[in-house]
Amino acid sequence: MTEEIVPGFKFSVFSYVVSLLRPEIIRDLELPRHGLQILPLESTVVPLDNGDYLGSWADPDQTRRELARHSPRDAEAATLFGRLMHHMAMAVRPILSMVPPDPTSLAPSDLRGMLKFAGHFRSLGAERFHALYKLMTMSSADYLDEWFEFDPLKATKSASGIIGTFLGPRSPGTAYVLLHHYMGEIDGAFRAWGFQKGGTGAISETIARAARAHGAEIRTGAAVDRVLVRNGRATGVVLEGGEEIPAAIVVSGLDPRRTFLELVEPAQLPADVVEGIRRFKFRGSSGKVNLALSELPNFTCLPGIGPQHRGAFSISPSLDYLERAYDDAKYGEFSRNPYMDIVIPSMIDPGMAPPGKHVMSIFVQYAPYNLTGGWTDARREAFGDAVVNTLSRYAPNIKGAILGRQVLTPSDIERTTGLTEGNIFAGELALHQLFFLRPVAGWADYRTPIEGYWQCGAGTHPGGGIMGASGRLAALEILGRRG
Amino acid sequence: MTYDAIVIGGGVNGLVAAATLARAGSRVLVVERSDSTGGLANVAEFAPGFRVAPLGLDAGWLPPPVARELGLGALERTLPAVPVAVPAGDREWLALPADIPKGVEAIRRYSPADAAQWPAFATRIGNLTAFLESLYLLPPPDIDSSALHDLFPLLGIARKLRGLGRAGMIELLRVMPMSVQEYLDDSLECEPLKAAIGAAGTAEIRQGPRSGGTAFVMLHHHVGVSAGAIRGRGYWKAGPGALTDAVADAARQAGVTIRCRAEVTGISAAADRATGVILAGGETITARTVLSSADPASTLLGMVDPVWLDPEFLLAVRNIKFRGSSARVLYALDTLPEFPGLPDPADVLRGVLSLSPSLDQIERAADAAKYGRISEDPHIEVQIPSLRWPGLAPDGKHVLVATAQWAPYRLATGAWTAEHREDLGRAVTAGIERIAPGFSRTVRERVVGAPPDLEATFGLTEGATTQGEMTLDQILFMRPVPGASRYETPLEGLYLCGAGTHPGSRIAGGPGWLAARQVLRNRRERRGGTP
Repeated sequence: MTEEIVPGFKFSVFSYVVSLLRPEIIRDLELPRHGLQILPLESTVVPLDNGDYLGSWADPDQTRRELARHSPRDAEAATLFGRLMHHMAMAVRPILSMVPPDPTSLAPSDLRGMLKFAGHFRSLGAERFHALYKLMTMSSADYLDEWFEFDPLKATKSASGIIGTFLGPRSPGTAYVLLHHYMGEIDGAFRAWGFQKGGTGAISETIARAARAHGAEIRTGAAVDRVLVRNGRATGVVLEGGEEIPAAIVVSGLDPRRTFLELVEPAQLPADVVEGIRRFKFRGSSGKVNLALSELPNFTCLPGIGPQHRGAFSISPSLDYLERAYDDAKYGEFSRNPYMDIVIPSMIDPGMAPPGKHVMSIFVQYAPYNLTGGWTDARREAFGDAVVNTLSRYAPNIKGAILGRQVLTPSDIERTTGLTEGNIFAGELALHQLFFLRPVAGWADYRTPIEGYWQCGAGTHPGGGIMGASGRLAALEILGRRG
Repeated sequence: MTYDAIVIGGGVNGLVAAATLARAGSRVLVVERSDSTGGLANVAEFAPGFRVAPLGLDAGWLPPPVARELGLGALERTLPAVPVAVPAGDREWLALPADIPKGVEAIRRYSPADAAQWPAFATRIGNLTAFLESLYLLPPPDIDSSALHDLFPLLGIARKLRGLGRAGMIELLRVMPMSVQEYLDDSLECEPLKAAIGAAGTAEIRQGPRSGGTAFVMLHHHVGVSAGAIRGRGYWKAGPGALTDAVADAARQAGVTIRCRAEVTGISAAADRATGVILAGGETITARTVLSSADPASTLLGMVDPVWLDPEFLLAVRNIKFRGSSARVLYALDTLPEFPGLPDPADVLRGVLSLSPSLDQIERAADAAKYGRISEDPHIEVQIPSLRWPGLAPDGKHVLVATAQWAPYRLATGAWTAEHREDLGRAVTAGIERIAPGFSRTVRERVVGAPPDLEATFGLTEGATTQGEMTLDQILFMRPVPGASRYETPLEGLYLCGAGTHPGSRIAGGPGWLAARQVLRNRRERRGGTP
């Protein structure tokens, strides 16, 4: 969704970078023809507590030299690490395009799926299998400790392991999310993130154009009140306002709680499915702050305006910093000093702001959905202040440059987008909520217990990020073309 | 004289390995550095007239086949009727009986909903731990092997898995990676109850109950326990050393030679093979096979010349997370302290008092460890071994052992100092004083055993009683390091047989038994016999 919050300034209100859109979707739907244009995000700069910075740049040699400035050992390890992550991402990639089999089922299609799944792991060989197993079970901090010594490097890398989860970097389960984010790919280059020209909203517009070109009809402003079910079969939807639209197949892109517990009567579902969905964890933990700026931020660690402004700034100076941010959240407070991932889309796409002015997009973690005492306007502003105050320690001119500010808490995200508890992945990316357990065992193949009613949202495998993969796999399954 | 096998360490795993090998006809020598066998079950004096085995208080799980093979069937285990009690308010305790219907009664006072859930919940946990039991009786699955003898046990496991039924299978797959807090929150609401169960999920690891994988740790510590008996592994009736004494007898009867006061300083090798051990003092003893029940780091980094091991393997060993995180505070008491409100103290005090009333309190204690600090308000578990075994203290006097978490081996400020120990001791005394007013006046002597002390006394790397945290990334085929989980090391003829190998910590004799069987299988194969 792209919006003008302050006149003349356009924001990608919620998501802000693009990476995980599956290449086969880009290809199949010919998205570039419909306007997909991803502008690469070239660098990341991490301001450090000692006044220095850690940068990574589009040029790998420059990145290596920069890292060697802090730790020659890590600079060497980084090359090997990058290679391993590439292999790991390649190893996991086929799974992302696989309809999860039900391991408890003896149905031929599930047994075939399990054999394929098992065969895939065996084909990796022992060494890569062990590496993958470690990624699945370790914390990102422990995993990175085995490779690196420079704390800000570990912190910045592990930050991608905590996004969208309610875990700290020292909790097992976060190393996998790290890999999940490594799978971002643009034109085959791993770990390359980018902006969509015109804001992230333009991506869905692009896909919508592709859909219309193929004959799909799209109605907006048409909120669905419930799915019509007759004799255990979905027969259409009822809009808020009462209009009934009949259909042979209904596919829900909403999150599992809405799909199973709100659009249909729980009484129409088996009790264990209802219980499983109730247990499905959302726990939104991130917020977003969008700023309209009269001038660019001037970071004391790298003074002046330069190429660094075309990339990201990450406020992740140490593992302890991230862990403390989590400690606040787990006891029901927003982080006083949060992790932030900051980009300035107007640097890449000048159409986002009036000439000379800028928009800044700040992804913030942690902001727990279940804030002690609940989210209020005052608490939202206090959260925004914490973000700006923290940022101003690294870029002191920021406070004077703010022309407008939009603060989004998980509660706002829930209210505006319908994502339960404001979880940006439509359900936590935790190990026990992945693959055949996403969203609930037995119903990970995009079906539901109601015939003709399907799920296709990020709350299904492979979930989360702007991937479109769930939608694609669901559509293939509906068409009876299981891959 | 050349032995068929030398076993390093006379604790339960070393002795079980030695006895198993000797019963198969091997000539076996056990070398033990201390004055007697027993390892962690050894009772030692810590104050004049007061003795205890601070790391050998519970019996762990003795796998039935080990007991059967070594003729340990006569050993008596005492299962306390109320294995755990947790404070549930001012002068209020949730004392949780092992018996499920009695558990329902005890829980009902605090939460009728949880009381109603209890039989089903306890049974579910029992089913999951029963599955782990079957997994723990087999060598870890080898994902890379297609040999038949590797596949058959896997089929057995698959059958057991199916035996759990659909709901049980899903539960198992789902629960393993979860945090114990999430898992308990799914079914229960009563904080003291969740704290009683959840404390097992963080036993002997650095993480708190909100960390992923702690649900597995909780299950691991309930393997061998009957459904509903939370923390109910019980203790050996005749004394903490009853099991190791019996195994030592069995070993001797099978012809094993046991030498105490024989500290191994090195493992000798020639032509890529282990050839024996070198003792402090310089004596060398040769053997075809060497098994070490010391932890993997002490063995491979401390006893073997690195030229025999490749650097990647050594790196993997260095990466093992030991992370001793708990201290033991030993108290010599003039009288038995009073715990106001504690029901049936005579029974309940034979179990464990787990002093944190909520998982949040345990989590807060764990926070300190993340930053390399000692918890200011640690999670404390109290046991009074002199009630179980009266001989440990003079008449009318008592020994109390407090396990205090978190007390990380590595402190951000550097080495442990006398002041750290003093602060921790004071914090623990204060914690006990809160639920037992007057306690500090009964204290005659207090000894703080921090992880570095446990390391020095018991030879445990980083003071880790687990020989490597029992976390998901360090179990099964990942234990002790990936690719070497079948007890063999890259140095031919050298095996590991301690808790640092599968099935790990608190499985009495399990690793030693499986390691010895691996040695025997390898020998048969080398002789060209049937696999």
